[in-house]
This record gives sequence, structure tokens and C-alpha cells, in this order.
Amino acid sequence: MILYTPLSQEDIFPTANSSYNNRQFISYEGRSVYAEQMEDGSYQLLQLMSTDPQDFLDEKFTPGSILS
Amino acid sequence: MNNKNEKKETQQPNEGQENQSGIVQKIQQLGQSNVAQAPDSNVHVLTIIGQIEGHVQLPPQNKTTKYEHLLPQLIAIEQNPKIEGLVILLNTVGGDVEAGLALSEMIASMSKPTVSIVLGGGHSIGVPIAVAANHSFIAPTATMTIHPVRLTGLVIGVPQTFEYLDKMQERVIDFVVNHSNIKEEKFKELMFAKGNLTRDIGTNVVGTNAVDYGLIDGIGGVKEAMQKVNELIDKNKDMDEQVIQ
Repeated sequence: MILYTPLSQEDIFPTANSSYNNRQFISYEGRSVYAEQMEDGSYQLLQLMSTDPQDFLDEKFTPGSILS
Repeated sequence: MNNKNEKKETQQPNEGQENQSGIVQKIQQLGQSNVAQAPDSNVHVLTIIGQIEGHVQLPPQNKTTKYEHLLPQLIAIEQNPKIEGLVILLNTVGGDVEAGLALSEMIASMSKPTVSIVLGGGHSIGVPIAVAANHSFIAPTATMTIHPVRLTGLVIGVPQTFEYLDKMQERVIDFVVNHSNIKEEKFKELMFAKGNLTRDIGTNVVGTNAVDYGLIDGIGGVKEAMQKVNELIDKNKDMDEQVIQ
């Protein structure tokens, strides 16, 4: 199949919703975070839900960090 | 837990190595090895990004701001005596009208000084949220699309639904007019303007124009917003002192 279209790849082949199934909001060290459960069962932080700007400077809450 | 025990056992021989792997891990996570540390902040930041998600959960591809997450945070900010001000960062494409109005009303009814900055875009229901703050800023390149409220999907009872939508739109207009310096006629004119948007009626208002229309209080970014919020905090403190005296 050859496609010639101004639409973006995502419009034609949308990402399957199931690929987001392992993402959830969890509480970590008193803050609400959006995290993805990885294959080994650990959680990787995707987004920190906080209004305190200092939390975003805290290494524990940096996106990509593994929650322990 | 396990990690800690392991660390203790292997502390001496592997200390150097572990240190290094810690740095490597940090670089993998952040792309850098050190993050600045600073004292507690008396100004909190609320980011409103993507879609404003309301009564219906949106598909996970959408980036959303969930109002049920923000409402308790706003209460917490109002109650915490250490927090003296709030900066609201907006880059939103709009979303649920009632969720957006709920956020706007919450922000507008806070006793602590609030300053909003529209960055990138503050479209549709982002407009009432932006003007809900005590003082609003817009980046010179940011835009706000003002257009009528719409509905997609099955409609049962067309006249009733139309009236309901019309009332909903009226609520949005009332809120914006009451919380900004724009005149109702001007806002409606922008909302129903033809020929500005390719497939819609409405207007895409760019930074400086939003200020000219009185919709937003000033052009600015982080520096101006922080100056303003600190100024408002000082004013608040002076008022409190006067009351005590």
C-alpha cells in the first residue's frame, strides 16, 4: 500500500488505546503522579501533578525516574 | 528496600562504581547530572494544558487537564498559609464548558493573589480561565480563539438543546465580561465574526490584540507575572496589617 496524503501518520494509523493501559495515576511520596508500569513491574514517572514549583526541582519527581 | 540492603553489603568495594552508575542513571533520566535546588516557594504554579477534561473521559492520546485534580489543589492552595500567591500557566485548546467554568469560578473566588499567563494558546474555554485571575498576561505570540459553544453527537429535542447551548454560551460571555475589561458587544462581535477562521465563525485573537480589546490585562511572560504576583502579595499583606491595627 502506498499512501499519498496530507494527513499525518497518526491520523491514519492511530495508536492503539491498549498501549496506554499500563499508565495510571498513583500516589508517590504524598504527591499524585502519572506513571507507567514497566515490564518488570516497576513504575516510571511520566508526569508530576503538583502546584509546588520546588517539587519539579526534586530529583525524585523528575520525569523518567523509576519510582521505588 | 532491597536496594538499600544491597547497598550496605557492597558499600565499600563498589562505592566508586555505584556513584558512577548513579550519575549515568541520572543522565539517562534527565539528560543532565545536576538539578538546581532552591528554598520553599511561596508562589505555587498551576499548569492547565491540552484539553480541559470534564464529564467524559477522553481517549488517552489526548493530553488533558482533569478538573477533578485541580479543584482540590486550588482548595489546598487557599488553605495553606505558606502559599501566598498563585501563577496559572495556560496552554490549552479548550474543552468541557462546565469543567472550564468550574475552574474559572474557583480561581476567581480565591482570596490569594492569582496571575495567569497565556502561553502558546488559550482557546475557547481557556479564555474564561485566563481572565479569572486577578491579573492576566499573554505572551506576544500567544493566541486565543473566541468562537461560539458547540455540540457534537446525537441531539434529542432540538429547540430545547439549542436553548440550553445558548444559555451555556451566555454563561461564558457573562463570566468573561465580568472578569475582564472587554465590553459585551465587542466580545460577541469577536465570537460571531465571519471570514476570520477557515471553517468556522469566530476570531483568533493574537497577544497584543487581546490586550487592546481589554480581554487580557497585559503583554508579558514569567518576569512580569512574578513581579505582579509579588506586588499583589505585598498589597495583600499591607491590607491585613491595616485590619489588625
